[in-house]
Amino acid sequence: MITLRSSDGETFDIDEVVAVEMQTIKHMMEDGCAESVIPVLNVTGKILAKVIDFCKKHVESAKAEELKAWDANFIKVNQATLYDLIMAANYLDCKSLLDLTCQTVADMIKGKSPEEIRGIFNIKNDFTPEEEEEIRRANQWAFE
Amino acid sequence: MATSEAAGDAFEQLPAALLATIMTKLDVSSIRSLASTCTTLRSCASQILHFLPNFHLLDVALSINLLRPLLPPNPYLSSLKVDCSKLDDSSIEDLIRPSLHDLSLHNCSDFSGKLLSQIGGQCKDLRSLYLGCVADKRGRAIHISNLEELLRGCTELKTLSLMFDISLFPRYNFAQAWSSASENLTSLEIGYVSSVMVTELLSPNVGPNQPPDLLRPSILPSLQRLCLSVDYITDTMVETISKGLINLTHLDLRDAPIIEPRVSFDLTNASLQQINQHGKLKHLSLVRSQEFLITYFRRVNDLGILLMADRCSSMESICLGGFCRVTDSGFKTILHSCSTLYKLRVSHGMLLTNLVFLDISATSLSLTHVSLRWCNLLRNQAVISLASNLDLRVLDLRDCRNLGDEALQAISTLHKLKILLLDGTDITDAGLTYLRERVIGSLVSLSIRGCKRLTDKCISALFDPSSKQELQELDLSNLPNLSDNGIFSLAKNRVPILELRMRQCPLIGDISVMALASMQVDDYRSHGSSLRVLDLYNCGGITTLSFRWLKKPYFPRLRWLGVTGSLNRDMVDALARSRPFLHVAGHGEELGTDHWDGLYMHDNEELDELEQWLLEGEDESDDEEMEDVQNNGEMVE
Repeated sequence: MITLRSSDGETFDIDEVVAVEMQTIKHMMEDGCAESVIPVLNVTGKILAKVIDFCKKHVESAKAEELKAWDANFIKVNQATLYDLIMAANYLDCKSLLDLTCQTVADMIKGKSPEEIRGIFNIKNDFTPEEEEEIRRANQWAFE
Repeated sequence: MATSEAAGDAFEQLPAALLATIMTKLDVSSIRSLASTCTTLRSCASQILHFLPNFHLLDVALSINLLRPLLPPNPYLSSLKVDCSKLDDSSIEDLIRPSLHDLSLHNCSDFSGKLLSQIGGQCKDLRSLYLGCVADKRGRAIHISNLEELLRGCTELKTLSLMFDISLFPRYNFAQAWSSASENLTSLEIGYVSSVMVTELLSPNVGPNQPPDLLRPSILPSLQRLCLSVDYITDTMVETISKGLINLTHLDLRDAPIIEPRVSFDLTNASLQQINQHGKLKHLSLVRSQEFLITYFRRVNDLGILLMADRCSSMESICLGGFCRVTDSGFKTILHSCSTLYKLRVSHGMLLTNLVFLDISATSLSLTHVSLRWCNLLRNQAVISLASNLDLRVLDLRDCRNLGDEALQAISTLHKLKILLLDGTDITDAGLTYLRERVIGSLVSLSIRGCKRLTDKCISALFDPSSKQELQELDLSNLPNLSDNGIFSLAKNRVPILELRMRQCPLIGDISVMALASMQVDDYRSHGSSLRVLDLYNCGGITTLSFRWLKKPYFPRLRWLGVTGSLNRDMVDALARSRPFLHVAGHGEELGTDHWDGLYMHDNEELDELEQWLLEGEDESDDEEMEDVQNNGEMVE
């Protein structure tokens, strides 16, 4: 059993086989930090719980279709949580979670015009009118 | 799903590396769209162009000025696919790079043969090459030396598609050019070549000055897949192919005679017996096209099919087009001999009847693709028998005039069906209600072109606003009773179709265009309509008023539009000018590629998204994986 502690002090006990799904933790274990509690500084308890859920499920089940359905449900979160999950997956180096979260964001962007993308992600248009004109001319073909 | 609540500016604040990771999962158009949102993303996007491994841009043809900034020096670029309609030889330097493993250049009519030579010179690591329409334009030259340089230079080549006419190369050194081709070549496709050239290429040939026992190294020793469009499929060619290519697993031959073939220049029972001499054949397609002349494989009858089936018991896919003399005996033998068959395609099966499928449930067959086109003796009972194949994904019954509602009732049990083509059948509105319960929920493509008994009610028979829709392509052409009410109903049901064809519908008018333009499919699009292809050619009620609704911002995703050009030349031209990336077809040509017949010919290459998705089944593998598998010449089905 390995114990992880989130940035806000929550602790989680997990099996070794689940812990090694996160490469960062795996390396820390190999370096001999496994005896005491491993601090996960950049991730809050709420997000860490979700990451652990993900790793547990992916260790347990092997059936691709079942996992896919579970993943689709798992990723139904609000945008803020989605970004937190991306950052956590990156920090903890969990490739499958990083792939899933990035793919979800990519799917939200696919085929949309810049206006639509700005709307979805609350992006502020900080181009000058000249820049706006230029970039539109060069990329108009992409979102006609 | 994620909502845009208090996320603030969290997205652009993600570290650049993570934004890049997200961008690598996007297609080029989406990356450019994302780049146009703010300065942070613009710089991130321009950086990513320096290490993007795949650059695929086939649905829009860019000029070199727009394309060049998108293809900066990038040592990681390994897969490049571009529509070259607006490019020529001066663009070769921007396109051809030594890092490439996979190159696909479509519509190269304005290029000369130099393109081939340059590829041979620079792309030594190339594994897969597709070249379409090279030097088609008048005044562009291509020589046999260009082909030689290509073949000699690309020594790692596994897959080669030369989709243009190479029959004009001089015969005497054509065979020689191929002797320097990569030994690893596993898949070869040629757009047009003469059967004589093929025969000479593959025959062990002894020159006049060489000792008779000189062993010539075998030509194309690793070839597994051969796909050719020829002038005449002849016995000599088929025998030479069967004998010469010892690893052949996939043979696809198509011809289009311009005169009735003479007996020495035709396919007969004799060569059918020789097919699959080395026992590895899994896919066979022999199609005689009616492109220039109404003609068939008249010299093949049941005996030839019997002899062939005898040696082909491990076949997985058979396509026979134009075998007008083969009767139920022949077709039944195929079904009973080939226990692993999963794709059966027959066109112009004039003598094919219900009896072929009568006891199909007694076999262990699990067909996934069935196509029976122009088989006029077929009746509903055949479809009822076929429906025992619950794994059916593609069912093409076009032009089987005697099929009706009972067939639809049988089809309603096919829950995995993705493509259903019923052009020219005798179905009614009532019959289509059978599809409403389950089948329409999983169907991706439906064609009911020319089913003259259908009325507006067919739309409400099929679609129900509360059910989940996956339909992307719908063909309602040639329906004399389909009116604006039907299309209104389609728009109201918010069916998120990408391709809608309504050619030659006399009652379709401006109101339909207005309804489609204002169709709202999801909350993010203000001016509705996800349509990419819209065909309104020769619709009776279309007037110049429609053009107002075809302009931007309506139909934002439209790439192909079919209209009657003569309606108002000026307005059509003005529309084409205001929407430079829209292909406007004004002379009645079919829009996009004719992908239904593509399903006949090309099992595995140049798949559009739909076909790729079908062949992968339910689990998604990304493009890269698919490319790799194709490069290995293996069949993934």
